[in-house]
Amino acid sequence: MNFGLRFRDVTPELVLLVLAVVTALAFDFTNGFHDTANAMATSIATKALTPKFAVGLCAVLNLIGAFLSVEVALTVTNAVIRIQNPDGTPRTELLTDGGRPLLMILLAGLIGAIVWNLFTWLRGLPSSSSHAMFGGLIGATIAGMGIDGVKWVGEGAKLDGVVGKIILPGLASPLIAVFVAMVGTWLVFRIARGVAESVMDKGFRWGQVGTASLVSLAHGANDAQKTMGVITLALIASGHWVDTHAIPLWVKVTCASAIALGTWLGGWRIIRTMGKGLVEISSPQGMAAEASSAAVILSSSQLGFALSTTHVATGSILGSGLGRRAEVRWGIAGRMGLAWLITLPSAAVVGAVMWWIGTTLGPWLGPVTIFAILCGLALWMWLHSRIKPIGHHNVNDDWEAPDTPAALQTEEVAR
Amino acid sequence: MSQAMAALDAVWKVLAIGLLLGAGLPALFSLGVRQLAVATEPGANVALHKALGWAAFVVVGAAVTLGIAGIVAHGLGVKLFF
Repeated sequence: MNFGLRFRDVTPELVLLVLAVVTALAFDFTNGFHDTANAMATSIATKALTPKFAVGLCAVLNLIGAFLSVEVALTVTNAVIRIQNPDGTPRTELLTDGGRPLLMILLAGLIGAIVWNLFTWLRGLPSSSSHAMFGGLIGATIAGMGIDGVKWVGEGAKLDGVVGKIILPGLASPLIAVFVAMVGTWLVFRIARGVAESVMDKGFRWGQVGTASLVSLAHGANDAQKTMGVITLALIASGHWVDTHAIPLWVKVTCASAIALGTWLGGWRIIRTMGKGLVEISSPQGMAAEASSAAVILSSSQLGFALSTTHVATGSILGSGLGRRAEVRWGIAGRMGLAWLITLPSAAVVGAVMWWIGTTLGPWLGPVTIFAILCGLALWMWLHSRIKPIGHHNVNDDWEAPDTPAALQTEEVAR
Repeated sequence: MSQAMAALDAVWKVLAIGLLLGAGLPALFSLGVRQLAVATEPGANVALHKALGWAAFVVVGAAVTLGIAGIVAHGLGVKLFF
């Protein structure tokens, strides 16, 4: 890095690059706190771990997982959009003006992804961060390159394109998870029938923590590398990096740290919905759910079946409830399903609008303006979350419809 | 259509492995918990049930260790096969 930066060296391209990298790291951060629930919601709900310890453990394992993912993720965008060549280098027509066309697509797309991630967090809904990222990028690509810039259906027998990498796995993976967790939970309770509940709880806590840790590790390994790939692509486009087989060390370190920090902060609103909202969870059930998630996530990533950790984890929790014939709050499950369906199109719309604003306002004002819009929206949503804050102190309060943690109820009574 | 077939091909594999490991291992763990509970009952063969219980836990632990090894191997770019 050259810190001897003079004022005349500050070009619009450099500003755009810096904004794109910062936005990518911000996305990685939201990816972390959006997905803490996938691994830890069950352990927190059953009190196998204290809320603070759970998010700390999850953060450390995400950090380790992120460093384990040394497999080059440079072709990450190739699954759905056509901004890179098969070897990972950016398409030449996007490299004019210091990579401006490509960087604008990345910046606008990531802003779309963050806005949607924050919105679903505010509503306490687990939604897929990968769908948000691909949605944002697809929207910005359509705006920038037209409808042909998107790879809609893959060719041949290899799963590819929006249909093969997003829609089909998005439909299938939650169903697989529901079924596996249902069978697992049923077996667990059937086998341990007659064992005292206290003995069950004590024994299964260990299994629960173990399987939840496995999910955390797999999450770090799968998700952090996507952002690493995007940042490296931005660096290649602007001519700051050439190797398409390696990721700069500082990118790895910052991405791993961003996702771990986000995880540690804990998306308490989502943890609450997944741990308390969907079904009541017992320790054996929690272990069955996390074991199902871990098995489905790990086997899919081996097979190149690109599923969403969030969809699998939610499906598993739902299935564990069905497996012991517990009451499932279908209203909440339905809201989640709806959020999944609209995640990609919504992020795409935001991404496209951002691309349009960013390009119309010119090379200096455009990127700065859309970044400012992102900051404004993020601040607005954060302020809204403070009206009914959910944190480690009230995450486990009994669920009542409509959702009001007990701490808030008493506050209102006191008033 | 070929995309749907490819997805179906992946789905049954994930489902099979999911059931074997994702449902089978918790079931085995449950067996372990049950054996340890039985061992505390009056008149039970304590040593036998304890041994069976711990054997179940060891198998589950080994499978989880293999899972972690799988993540590491995948991260290093080694393709595992089933």
